[in-house]
Amino acid sequence: MEEDEIAGYVTAYLKKKGFTQTEKIFQEEFQTNKTNSSPLEPDIAKHILSFSQLESGPARFHDGYSRLRSWTHCSLDLYKHELLRVLYPVFIHCFMDLVAKGHVQEARHFFNTFREDHEMMHLRDLQKLEGVLSPTHLEEMEFAHSLRQSKFNIKICEYSYELLLQHLHSTQSTTILGIINEHINFQVTPGQPSSIVDDPEAVTLSGSSQDAANQINQKEIHWGLLEDSLEERLEKASSLLSDSEKGEGEAKEGETEENKKRPVEGGKQGASIKKVKKDKGGSATGKNTKAEVNTVSAAPRVKPELPMPIIPTEVEQSILEDLRNRVQLSSVALPSVSFYTFLNTHNGLSCSSISHDGSLVAGGFSDSSLKVWDMAKLGEQTASSLSQDENDTSQNPQMGQSGGGKRQYTLFQGHSGPVYAASFSPVGEFILSSSADSTIRLWSTTYNANLVCYKGHNYPVWDVQFSPVGHYFASSSHDRTARIWSMERIQPLRIMAGHLSDVDCVQWHANCNYIATGSSDKTVRLWDVQSGECVRVFVGHRSMILSLAMSPDGRYMASGDEDGTIMMWDLSSGRCLTPLIGHTSCVWSLAFSCEGSVLASGSADCSVKLWDVNTSTKVSRAEEKSGNASRLRSLKTLPTKSTPVYALRFSRRNLLFAAGALAKNG
Amino acid sequence: MSIVGKERIEVIAQSIGITNLSPDVALSLAPDVEYRLRDIMQESIKCMRHSRRTTLTADDVDSALSLRNVEPIYGFASGGPLRFKRALGHRDLFYIEDKDLDLKDVIEAPLPKAPLDTAVTCHWLAIEGVQPAIPENAPVDVISVPAEAKKNEQKDDNLPVDIKLPVKHVLSRELQLYFDKVTELTLTQSESVLFKEALVSLATDSGLHPLVPYFTCFIADEVSHGLSNFSLLFALMRVVKSILQNPHIHIEPYLHQLMPSVVTCLVAKRLGSRLADNHWELRDFTANLVASICKRFGHVYSNLQSRLTKTLVNAFLDPKKALTQHYGAIQGLAALGPNVVRLLLLPNLEPYIRLLEPEMLLEKQRNEVKRHEAWRVYGSLLRAAGQCIYDRLKIFPTFPSSLPHAVLKTNARVLMSSPYKRKASLEQLEEQPPLKKTNTDGEVGVVLTNSSPSHKQGEAGTQASSVDSIIGSSSASEQMKNDTISNAVVRSNKVDTRSWKTSAALAQVWKDELNSGRILVSLFELFGEDILPFIQAPELYMFL
Repeated sequence: MEEDEIAGYVTAYLKKKGFTQTEKIFQEEFQTNKTNSSPLEPDIAKHILSFSQLESGPARFHDGYSRLRSWTHCSLDLYKHELLRVLYPVFIHCFMDLVAKGHVQEARHFFNTFREDHEMMHLRDLQKLEGVLSPTHLEEMEFAHSLRQSKFNIKICEYSYELLLQHLHSTQSTTILGIINEHINFQVTPGQPSSIVDDPEAVTLSGSSQDAANQINQKEIHWGLLEDSLEERLEKASSLLSDSEKGEGEAKEGETEENKKRPVEGGKQGASIKKVKKDKGGSATGKNTKAEVNTVSAAPRVKPELPMPIIPTEVEQSILEDLRNRVQLSSVALPSVSFYTFLNTHNGLSCSSISHDGSLVAGGFSDSSLKVWDMAKLGEQTASSLSQDENDTSQNPQMGQSGGGKRQYTLFQGHSGPVYAASFSPVGEFILSSSADSTIRLWSTTYNANLVCYKGHNYPVWDVQFSPVGHYFASSSHDRTARIWSMERIQPLRIMAGHLSDVDCVQWHANCNYIATGSSDKTVRLWDVQSGECVRVFVGHRSMILSLAMSPDGRYMASGDEDGTIMMWDLSSGRCLTPLIGHTSCVWSLAFSCEGSVLASGSADCSVKLWDVNTSTKVSRAEEKSGNASRLRSLKTLPTKSTPVYALRFSRRNLLFAAGALAKNG
Repeated sequence: MSIVGKERIEVIAQSIGITNLSPDVALSLAPDVEYRLRDIMQESIKCMRHSRRTTLTADDVDSALSLRNVEPIYGFASGGPLRFKRALGHRDLFYIEDKDLDLKDVIEAPLPKAPLDTAVTCHWLAIEGVQPAIPENAPVDVISVPAEAKKNEQKDDNLPVDIKLPVKHVLSRELQLYFDKVTELTLTQSESVLFKEALVSLATDSGLHPLVPYFTCFIADEVSHGLSNFSLLFALMRVVKSILQNPHIHIEPYLHQLMPSVVTCLVAKRLGSRLADNHWELRDFTANLVASICKRFGHVYSNLQSRLTKTLVNAFLDPKKALTQHYGAIQGLAALGPNVVRLLLLPNLEPYIRLLEPEMLLEKQRNEVKRHEAWRVYGSLLRAAGQCIYDRLKIFPTFPSSLPHAVLKTNARVLMSSPYKRKASLEQLEEQPPLKKTNTDGEVGVVLTNSSPSHKQGEAGTQASSVDSIIGSSSASEQMKNDTISNAVVRSNKVDTRSWKTSAALAQVWKDELNSGRILVSLFELFGEDILPFIQAPELYMFL
C-alpha cells in the first residue's frame, strides 16, 4: 500500500465532501510529515480504501443490492427462503436512502429494476412508495415515515445469520451492512430454519411503533361479558324453569334430549329451522338456549364501565322471547339467509344496514339521502312493487298511503354529502348515519325525522356504530380518529387518536367496554372506552381494513380487508389465530352468529361465505400448515346473482340477513 | 422513468398559456405533480371503497379533491365511463371526445324518461345453508349463458323471468353421413350384406348416441307409413334390435318413442301387402324384441310391462280383432314368460278355444287362408300353454337324475322313461278328485298308444337339455325337502327311495301349486294330445 495512494484517496474524499479547509491542512501536514511518517496500519488503510470506493455514488446501492440478491438466490436451498426475507427491507431502504440523498433518477431506476421481486408479497406498499420522488415526500408520507422510523423484525436461524454476515464482510458491502444494521432487527433462533410456508410473523414491521405495540399488547383486557346481561337472566329463568320441570317427571326430559339432537342431525337432511321455530312447546327451545347459554357463561363476567341505559320491560320481554326461540347453529346446522336486493340504485348505494329483527333496511346513497324500507309493509305490496313501471306510478293508489307519497320507503334528507354508514339502534327506533359532510345524524324511525346532528369530526365520517346496548355510539373518520358519543350530547365523550391513517371501520365489543377500529394503516386497534387508551394493536393485514366483527362471547374478533383476507384474532393475546382465505375481493361485511359458532362474510365478489368458528379458533398450528385446514373452516359459499354483499346481520333468532345492490353492468 | 416527465409539464404549461417555463422549473415540478396525483388517487380509492364500489368514478376523484381542499374538476360528472379516442396519426395520443351539440336540438328533444326509483326486493339466498333454485339466485351450474339476458330482463320490467335457451344439437358431419347411409340401406337394400354389416355396426359402435333421437324418429315415421312394406318393417325391427343391443347407447329416454312402433309390428292387422310375406316370422321376432325390452327396462319403468300386457290382452280378448292380431298378442304374451301366460292367457283359454274351433275345421271354415290363420293361432296358443305348463312342471323333481343317461336313441328307452314320467304325474294326480283322475288315465293311455316315435324323440331331446339346467335347482329343493320331511329314509332300494322322495316332494310342492295339476288337466281337455309334448318346437305343430 503506497502511502501516496492513501493520501490521494483521503484528499479525494475531503474534496468530495467539500472540506476544503481540512484538505489544505491535510495537504500541508502530509507534505511536512512525508519524510518521517510511520507506516500505516494495513487494516486502517484497507478501510479507508473501501470507504473511498463505496463513496463512488448512488450506484453503490444498486450494486450492493444486486450483489446481495444474486448471492441469496444462489445460496443453499435450505436457508434460501430465510435469506430472501432480508431482501425486501434492504430494497425499500436502499430506495428511500437514494431518494433521501436526492438521487431521484437513480432511485427510480433502482426501484423499477427490482420491484418485480417483491410485487407478489408487497404490491400495495410498492404502489405507495412508487410515488415518493423527493426527500420532502418522505417526510410527508406517513407510510414512508413509519418505515424510516421503525425496524423490521426478521426471524432467522443461526446459520443463515452467519452466512449473511460472512457474505457482507467478505464482499465489503458496507452500504448494505449499514442498512441491515440500521433497519433490521434479527431474531436469531437456534437450530434448523423454519419451514418454507410463509409465516406471517416472520417479517413484521416494528421498531419504535412495534415496541409500543408489544407494550400495549401486554395490558390486561377484561374481555368477559357483562354481568346481569339478558342472556344471563334467561339462563337463570330457564334453570328455575327446569327445576320446576324436574318435579313433573323424567318423561319430558327424554323428549327434550331427543329434540335437542334433532337440529344437529337435521342439518344434513334439511330439517327446517322453522320446524324448530314453530316448536314453541318451550321445553325443547328452552333446553337449547340453556345449553348454549351455559357455554357463554363460561366466559368471565365484568362490570360495565359505562352507565348503562335502562331497557324498557316490553323490549326486554321481546328480546327474551327471541332468545328463547333462537335456532342453534353449528357447522352442520347452517343458517337460512334472507337477501335484500336493492334495485335501480344507479351505482349510488354507498352503504346498507339492517335492523336487528330484519324488518327495517336502510340504504345510504351518494346523493346524500338515506332511505329506509319497512320490509313488513313492503311484503304486503310486493306484487304491486314488482310490477312497478314508469307508467304505473301514477295509477297505483294504494302505494300512496305508505311512506307519504308514491315511494315505498321513508326518505331522510339532511346530509350534504354521500352517506357512508348507517346503524340501527338495538330496538330499531333510531338510526344513525354518517356522511362525507363530517357530520353524524340521528334519525327517528317512529317520527321519520332528524333528531340530532353531531358535529365533531373534521373530515368525512367513514363509519358509525351503535353500541350493543344502544345509547352510545362510536364513529370513525378520515381525520384518523375514532370517537365515542352518547345520544344526548352533541360533543364526543372520547376521542381515540393513534392510527397512522384513516380509521375505516369501528365495532363495539360485546361488553361495551372496548371498541375496535380498523384503519388504512393495515392495523386493527382495540381501545378502552373508559380511559380512551389503545389496549391492543393487531398487525398482520396486508391492506386496508374494511370490516370488523366481535364474537358474542367477547373472546375473538374478525377483521376483513381489501384483498379478501379475513383474520381471526384472539383479543387477550393480540395474536392472529388464523387467516381465513377464500374471498377474492373486498370483504364489506362480517357477522358472528348469536352463539358465536358461525361467521358470515359478505364480499364484493358477489358471495356470502360461512365459516366454522370453532375449528378456526381451535385448530392447531400444525394442522394449519397442512393446508387443508382452510378448506375445512369454510363451511359454505353462497353466490348471489351479480350482487355484491354490503351488509350482513344475524337476527336474535339466528336468521341471517344480507343486503346488496344489484350491479347491472358485468 | 416517472409517469409525469418534464416534457409533460412543459406541454401542460403550454396548454394553459405559459410559454416561458424554464426547464429547471419543469424538472422540479414533475416529481411533485406526480406525487400529488398519486396522493389524490390514494384518497379517491378510499372514497371508492367507502362507497362500496370496486370501480373508480369521477365522483370519487371529486371527493378526494375536496378532502384535500381542492376545487373539484367540473364537467366530468359520472354519467358513464369516459371514452377515450385515439388521435389520428399518433400511436399513443388519446383524447376525450367532446361533440358539438346544437342547443336547439337539446331543447327540442323530448324529455328523457325518469329513471326508475330505487326499490328493495327480498328473497331466500339460502334455506339452512342450501340455496333454493329460484331465479333470484345465481344458477348453481356454471352454465350461465343467459346471465346477460336475465339481467336485461330484470332491468326492463323488474320481473325476474327465467329464460330457457333452446338447446342446439350439433351433429358432426361423419355422424350425419352415417345416419343417411344406414337409413338408405334400411329403406332400399334390407337384404344386402351391407345392411347386415350396418346392423353389426349399430349394435357395437360406441359413438352413435347422438344419433339415437334421429333413429327413433326415423323408425317411428317409417313404421307408421310403411305398414304394407313387409321387408321394410322387418329391417326396421332389426335396426331396433341392434340399437337395443348396443351397450354404449342409453336408450331409456327414447323408449316411449320406440315402443309404439314395435308393438305395431307385433299386433297390426296387416303387415305387408302380399300373401307370401311371412308376417308370422316378423311377429315372432318382434315378440322376442318386446320381451327383451321388458326384461331390460322393466325395473326402470315399472309400468312398462303392465301397459304392454294390457295392450296385448285387450288385443287378444277382442273377438272382433283379426286372427293375425290375436296371434301377435299371444306371441307377445308368451314371450314375456310363463307367469304372464298363466295369469293372463290360461284363464281365457277355454272360451277362446271354443271360438277358435269352428275356424279351424275344414267343414266350418271354407277359406283356406282363414283356416291357416286359425291353425296358426291354435299353434301359438298351444305353445304358450305348453311352455307355461312345462315351466310349472319342471320345478317338480319328477325327473329322476338318471334321466340324462336315459337319453338314448332307442325308442324303447324313451318309452321307458315316458311312463315313468307319467307315473309321476299320476302320483300327483292321485291327490286330485277322482273324477279328474279318470280323465287323465285316459290321456295317459292315449300317450302310450298314439305318440309316434318322432314325437318321443323330440321330447326326450328337449327334456335332456332342460334337465341339465334344472338339475341344480331340483336337487337343491330335494335337499330342502329331505330336511323338512323326517329323514328316516332307507337308501337301500334306490328306486323306492326315489319314488318315495318324489311323492314327498310332490306333496310339498302341491300345496304351493294347487292349480298346476288343474291347469294341466284343463289343457289336456282343450288340446288333447297336442299338449303332451309341451315343448316349443314349432315344427311339431306344422304337422297338425
